[in-house]
Amino acid sequence: MATTSFTAPKLSSPTFQTLCRNLPLSLPIPKTLSSFSFHLSPFLSRFHLHHHHPTPRFHPRRLFAVRAESENGAEPLRHYDFDLFTIGAGSGGVRASRFAANFGASVAVCELPFSTISSETTGGVGGTCVLRGCVPKKLMVYASKYSHEFDESNGFGWKYDTEPKHDWSTLMANKNAELQRLTGIYKNILNKAGVTLIEGRGKVVDPHTVDVDGKLYTARHILISVGGRPFIPDIPGSEYAIDSDAALDLPSKPEKVATVGGGYIALEFAGIFNGLTSEVHVFIRQKKVLRGFDEEIRDFVGEQMALRGIQFHTEESPQAIVKSADGSLSLKTNKGTIEGFSHIMFATGRRPNTKNLGLESVGVKINKNGAIEVDEYSRTTVPSIWAVGDVTDRINLTPVALMEGAALAKTLFQNEPTKPDYRAVPSAVFSQPPIGQVGLTEEQAIKEYGDIDVYTANFRPLKATLSGLPDRVFMKLIVCAKTNKVIGLHMCGEDSAEIAQGFAVAVKAGLTKADFDATVGIHPTSAEEFVTMRTPTRKIRQSSESQGNMGHEAKTAAGV
Amino acid sequence: MARKMLVDEEMNQTNQEEAYYDFDLFVIGAGSGGVRAARFSANYGAKVGICELPFHPISSEVIGGVGGTCVIRGCVPKKILVYGAAFGSELEDARNYGWELNEKLDFNWKKLLHKKTDEIIRLNGIYKRLLSNAGVKLFEGEGKIVGPNEVEVTQLDGTKLSYSAKHILIATGSRAHRPPIPGQELGITSDEALSLEDLPKHAVVFGGGYIAVEFASIWRGLGANVDLFFRKELPLRGFDDEMRAVVARNLEGRGINLHPQTNLTELIKTDNGIKVTTDHGEELIADVVLFATGRLPNSKRLNLEAVGVELDNTGAVKVDEYSRTSIPSIWAVGDVTNRMNLTPVALMEGTCFAKTVFGKEPSKPDYSHVPCAVFSIPPLSVVGLSEEQAIEQANGDVLVFTSTFNPMKNTVSGRQEKTVMKLVVDAETDKVLGASMCGPDAPEIMQGIAVALKCGATKVQFDSTVGIHPSAAEEFVTMRSVSRRITCSGKPKTNL
Repeated sequence: MATTSFTAPKLSSPTFQTLCRNLPLSLPIPKTLSSFSFHLSPFLSRFHLHHHHPTPRFHPRRLFAVRAESENGAEPLRHYDFDLFTIGAGSGGVRASRFAANFGASVAVCELPFSTISSETTGGVGGTCVLRGCVPKKLMVYASKYSHEFDESNGFGWKYDTEPKHDWSTLMANKNAELQRLTGIYKNILNKAGVTLIEGRGKVVDPHTVDVDGKLYTARHILISVGGRPFIPDIPGSEYAIDSDAALDLPSKPEKVATVGGGYIALEFAGIFNGLTSEVHVFIRQKKVLRGFDEEIRDFVGEQMALRGIQFHTEESPQAIVKSADGSLSLKTNKGTIEGFSHIMFATGRRPNTKNLGLESVGVKINKNGAIEVDEYSRTTVPSIWAVGDVTDRINLTPVALMEGAALAKTLFQNEPTKPDYRAVPSAVFSQPPIGQVGLTEEQAIKEYGDIDVYTANFRPLKATLSGLPDRVFMKLIVCAKTNKVIGLHMCGEDSAEIAQGFAVAVKAGLTKADFDATVGIHPTSAEEFVTMRTPTRKIRQSSESQGNMGHEAKTAAGV
Repeated sequence: MARKMLVDEEMNQTNQEEAYYDFDLFVIGAGSGGVRAARFSANYGAKVGICELPFHPISSEVIGGVGGTCVIRGCVPKKILVYGAAFGSELEDARNYGWELNEKLDFNWKKLLHKKTDEIIRLNGIYKRLLSNAGVKLFEGEGKIVGPNEVEVTQLDGTKLSYSAKHILIATGSRAHRPPIPGQELGITSDEALSLEDLPKHAVVFGGGYIAVEFASIWRGLGANVDLFFRKELPLRGFDDEMRAVVARNLEGRGINLHPQTNLTELIKTDNGIKVTTDHGEELIADVVLFATGRLPNSKRLNLEAVGVELDNTGAVKVDEYSRTSIPSIWAVGDVTNRMNLTPVALMEGTCFAKTVFGKEPSKPDYSHVPCAVFSIPPLSVVGLSEEQAIEQANGDVLVFTSTFNPMKNTVSGRQEKTVMKLVVDAETDKVLGASMCGPDAPEIMQGIAVALKCGATKVQFDSTVGIHPSAAEEFVTMRSVSRRITCSGKPKTNL
């Protein structure tokens, strides 16, 4: 379908007049309407036309029944430029657009011009994951892991006459060439799927109209998938701080870096800079890193990272950044001041990109964090407007955005209402060593199930026995005592991310500890440990009675 | 506890006069299967003795060591050398990530070998401790069966000990063998290959199995020129054909010269090295020739025929589903039975044996969906059926999903090597029948997939699992479109 574009609402245009006659949706929607429509089932998505119904106080269901009948009659469908207009060509947006097109919909997607640093005016096809997240991060992790591998290789007989040196500009050039290639690939993917790509900043004008830099496009459905951006708290000197966007594209090696934050982004960058031979300090507000992760994993990864030379400053919150005459930065915290940083990176959270999208004015509800509120089918409070990915702040992971995008395309264009399933979503932290996990933490499991058995292994991997490095691996299975189902699996150590994926299939399928035990190991691997855990490390029972028995049971078991 | 077991057994078999035995169980061979069976039996309360030959990295009729093949001459030292060798290409890949390294990297084979030997000595000690902690009595010497309930251990000084045992378990494993060609004594087996004085400059490997491709990868990774000769068109007979082709392509891509459908016919010692002749009339000079042409069960010197334990024509001890030989009091587990020659399978057999005999819970080892790995560089790992097996066994159609991709690391390193993954699915039931992968981390990735397959996971269950991004493994849960559908129409369909 050709792109019909409008300059400002030219009411004389015959097309537009037809539109208005059939569906005057350019009118601002009364609040009452937008709120009742929130509960609509997605099955009825094509009946969104009723918003302008003159008697909005009807019970929605009845209203729809009536309108559905009339639509099944002879009333002509409104013409739109597109069946779907997607704002934002990141993981979720591209997935939804492609799949929608594959299901026969006419689709357009708009995206900001490419830049490695995102802003109100720059982005790029591929989005955070490809340009400022997963991909460049992982490439930097690969680069930085080598210093550990050089150390390991010494134990295996390899020798370096001179200490290997790292050339920052080579890495940046090769990384950026790869990003350019990928953004090209993503454009191609859209093109092949028949999706119209429009470069520019999209803004919602009304429930069926998007403005891209002054041009108007109408669409039966609008999808908001504009993602999120790093957030730096407003403290004195915060203008000297960098965020993860900048950290992925520094012009030269940072000599001494502070990363502020205890989340996965902070830890990943700490590992990256440490591996690329910077001096690294991590400042966290809490006692431990990675709030929300399993407590034992939190302890373990902190210890392992410290062993690799990262300095942790716990319970230390930044209060100000001061730039000295020599250009170096000092970080003032509640505990004192540390000087001499070349870079201070804030990894203190990300915020949804919901500003200046015209959302509030058309009645799309946004929560206090700036995230778009959606129902289980990713529908916003305006029935023709949908949202997936980080902008909805559900589970902010690329594969989850992909799942949401795929589910939405099915719901809208394959007549198959599909809810994304957030159970047992695995994830990884590419710290060094990395973490892989799926299901519940021990703390969540106790809360949810009460009685659980916990199996742990903490061992020195074969590689470390030769390298002589203090690397260890920690693994943990959490089993529901009543059903024997494995409800949580956690690992920190080499290859954790790769190892966790297959187990995620097993956990998602609801398999039991007995199923794990029945599986033969692959020898010699680290992963085989997950199928050879015979004795529970502890049994947690809610009733004090069985807790009394527990000590005895655990002891007996440990003898086996 | 031993006494109690005996009493229990007596009560179960009242028709049989219970004699007094020195041991409830005597195990010959302290490798993976033997140690596992001995420990678990002891944990069930049995009085257990075990004998093993003295330790040495290179095995013979009279040399072995607690830990067995896996620990001393197999999995562990092999994997250590694979780690060492993999650094070669890793370091090459580092350059495009900005690391400045010397043109020529220095590698010290003697250091690696020394550290490998230290590690297996350490593990040998750990295994001995495991046995003693479990209360198993260890004898050093060669075990022989004298009667259905009697073993004789010849100790190092030549003195013989004789013990009676209610049950005897044979777990003597297997050893590499050489093909009967002229000059075969000039070649080595995997035992020696794990302990070579010097790193070969030019190695010839004969064999197409996993041992052959692993050593080819190790030596190539450490800088040697390697020629790999095998009889079939592709290496790794028995694995999925498509994956075999991938492995062959990768070996070649890493600089190994492949000689398919070629046999070695003769080895001759020359001043420049060993002259190798093939049945195609080729001649090469090598400093090391490795025979990886198979392994044979260690059943010869056990006096088995004399007491009536049946062997098959390969020399493997014949056993029933519970690992019992033709003599009811004699059992056998592990490679000596030549069922599925993998450490974790021997462990499973050892565990089932202990449960059956001393745990009052007759248990058959389950050989379905046993995953395994080939530690070539890059490695191959599989679980379940190959495409060919699936087609043969399926009632309905078979769906094949494949994914061939450039691993993310290679996008910057520039290495030209694709990772290949494959799922074979029963079209009718949607069950995933087989999974394979060739690429970095394949063995680690496959373990979790194996749990899913073991429990009959469907393709829908794979698809409903969210990926871990960015990983290679996520490809297994994002294979949306079927690569091909194979109609098994020639076969009778039971449901039609």
